[in-house]
Amino acid sequence: MTRDIALGQFIPGKGIIHRMDARVKILLLITYIVLIFCAFNFVSLGIVTASVIAIILISDIPVKMYLKSLKVIIVIILITSILNIFYGSGDPLVQFGIFKITLEGIYRAIFVTVRIICLIFISSCLTFTTSPTDLTDAIERLMKPLKIFHIKVHEIAMMMTIALRFVPTLLEETDKIMSAQKARGADMESGGMIKKIKAMTPVLIPLFVSAFRRAYELAVAMECRCYQGGDGRTRMKVLKINKLDVACILVTVLFLVGVILCNIFFAAKI
Amino acid sequence: MSFISVENVKFSYDEDKNYVLNGLNLKIEKGEFVALLGHNGCGKSTAAKLLNAMFIPDEGVVVVDNMITSDEKLTYEIRRNVGLVLQNPDNQLVASVIEEDVAFGPENLGVPPEEIRSRVNVALKMVDMYEYRTHAPHKLSGGQKQRVAIAGILAMKPRCIVFDEPTAMLDPNGREEVMNTIQVLKELGITVVLITHYMDEAVMADRVVVMDNGNILTAGTPREVFSQVNLLKKHSLDVPQATELCYKLSGVGLKFDKMPLNTEECVEFLEGVLK
Amino acid sequence: MSIIEVKDLSFTYGINTPFEKKAVDDVNVCFNEGEVIGLIGHTGSGKSTFVQMLNGLIKPTSGQVLLEGKDIWEKPKEIRKIRFKVGMVFQYPEYQLFDETVYKDISFGPRNKGLNENEIDLTVRKAAKFVGLSDKLLNKSPFDLSGGEKRRAAIAGVIAMDPDVLVLDEPTAGLDPKGREVLLAQIMGYHKERKNTIFFVSHSMEDISRIADRVMVMNKGRLEMFDTPKNIFAQVEKIESMGLRVPQITKIITMLRERGYDLTDGVLTVEQAFSEVVNLLKREGVI
Repeated sequence: MTRDIALGQFIPGKGIIHRMDARVKILLLITYIVLIFCAFNFVSLGIVTASVIAIILISDIPVKMYLKSLKVIIVIILITSILNIFYGSGDPLVQFGIFKITLEGIYRAIFVTVRIICLIFISSCLTFTTSPTDLTDAIERLMKPLKIFHIKVHEIAMMMTIALRFVPTLLEETDKIMSAQKARGADMESGGMIKKIKAMTPVLIPLFVSAFRRAYELAVAMECRCYQGGDGRTRMKVLKINKLDVACILVTVLFLVGVILCNIFFAAKI
Repeated sequence: MSFISVENVKFSYDEDKNYVLNGLNLKIEKGEFVALLGHNGCGKSTAAKLLNAMFIPDEGVVVVDNMITSDEKLTYEIRRNVGLVLQNPDNQLVASVIEEDVAFGPENLGVPPEEIRSRVNVALKMVDMYEYRTHAPHKLSGGQKQRVAIAGILAMKPRCIVFDEPTAMLDPNGREEVMNTIQVLKELGITVVLITHYMDEAVMADRVVVMDNGNILTAGTPREVFSQVNLLKKHSLDVPQATELCYKLSGVGLKFDKMPLNTEECVEFLEGVLK
Repeated sequence: MSIIEVKDLSFTYGINTPFEKKAVDDVNVCFNEGEVIGLIGHTGSGKSTFVQMLNGLIKPTSGQVLLEGKDIWEKPKEIRKIRFKVGMVFQYPEYQLFDETVYKDISFGPRNKGLNENEIDLTVRKAAKFVGLSDKLLNKSPFDLSGGEKRRAAIAGVIAMDPDVLVLDEPTAGLDPKGREVLLAQIMGYHKERKNTIFFVSHSMEDISRIADRVMVMNKGRLEMFDTPKNIFAQVEKIESMGLRVPQITKIITMLRERGYDLTDGVLTVEQAFSEVVNLLKREGVI
């Protein structure tokens, strides 16, 4: 039942974005988020949207997958855009009682919708093209400077790695324990919310007990393999910024400049 | 001096001195394959963790290649030399990609990246898991996972590997895979200590040590040990069926130069008698 | 009388996905009341899926399971009732223990079944006795028991539902020889008294040959053989071609037979082999 949940939704491939350094991808994603919110008029928003579409097309991931990622959040998009329609100030185009629709409201709704969709597409692009391990690895390396604030960067990354490793194992185990309790006549399907939560106790307790046992055994195994924290550790995979990454950074910077210029030279709509 | 020597070791998990190991003496030579037998609670798993400085003896000493395990400065040097493979293959793998998991040991030791890469490749080829290097552990069978765990230890270039019931949770195919791997390691000159319940695995060893109640019950070559059918049965340990049959036959007057330990030896012996 | 009848039973995982796999493929078979059925097959042969269809944990994609002549999926809403009639002990059942005390844990099944307190007390104590758990242990937390005791407590939790059919999926896996011996003896003792039908899934051919009345051999989702252990293990070649072994003692006698010695085939125990060989030695005049 839970067996086939793919974590992080990584889809292996050989496209340009797949080959980029994960650190660069994360930084560019952040730049793009800023870009999306910096687009104050239709021209700059148009440029941003066009570039997001371009990225989707070169990402070597079926467009269908991107549309699927919208599915979860479509309700939120609809609600925010409808609310925005009614929030504008100025002369009403149509009015029902206290509700009025203004031109500004419609503009707002368009901006919000396009921004959210771009945001989701561009972040999905990162998770689709980057394996979870590369992602944690990149986060660890990007956060390294935070060490001076006594943030345990290595430990956090190690925990993320182990969590990624054990989520499928624990899901499988949940399945097994559920079957075992059902075989003892546990009723997990019928009844109201509270009854259902209560019925989960025989599943959750063994699951926790087993997770702690696994944690203990894993700790022993890690110590046997000379684990002593992050100090003095090397990594097999060396992340290297290559020409492709530099090119992508340049293109993004160009976009950033372009959007800022558009904001200055074309009148802001909102 | 032996490669590993355990001298008069006492060990207890609590303050009350309920000794799990009670004056254990054991010597293991370089390149030897030793099987440690005994039922649950006889202290054999505890012994395993004493060999790589996971546990420090309450009394007595464990010396690995002239290093005393109680010397904290040497802990990691000892663990690098004496790898430990545990029973549950799932709970030994750290990373969600096979090759990254195998790299975990050498990464901890601060080995340079290019060398880690080559060690990982060599280790994965040794356990015949190279083509799975980019797979996720949870998709593998038990035997495959256990082989990856062995590769993870091999990548640290140990001189000895201690196996703590590595096949207990595996199906017959998985058991065979792991036992074949262990034999490859032995041929490479790695010292192997195998803790097991299965007599057919112990038969492959150079020397069998049977433990009971925190001490050694009997030790010797597999043939010497398994010939003592009565003693083993008294301590509820299994004897290969081939050996049991021959032992019974010796009761009706058949003479044995060497006690058969497996199917082939038993058939050969009976044929010899019948001709 | 047959207690379970399986008709054209099939199960396919992940239909319409790239992972589609036929786990059980068109199995037809009948089991008698009071039989001990050994079930063998290597990992992935479909035996786990098959047994989980017997108590409705997995719904077949096609075909039927008839319990006492009635399709268990006739009323899908009442499938829970089937689980009290067909008890199922999973592999490593000790990982399902959850309650404060062993007593409460064993009573989980009977309570779900809807028994009253008196009946529960009776059945819990009886089940505990079958697996040799003392009254003192019943008041302990299940997490304070030893490995072997946990296993037995978990088995008691299923026995306490007093099922007419009991499925045991590798009950002795991971135990030491002593624990295995004790558990097997307890299961057989229970069977002798309760006289119900038992399915025993195992990789240990020695155990199967000792306790099973009939043995089912599964391979690639199909039922390949179903016969007495003697007849099954006499077919060494066929068994080995499916990646399975026969008991070592059976193999020895078979090899001697192949070399022309007059011995009965399908010998299953050391005692049997011993008397066979002694007779042969006497006939040949060696002793």
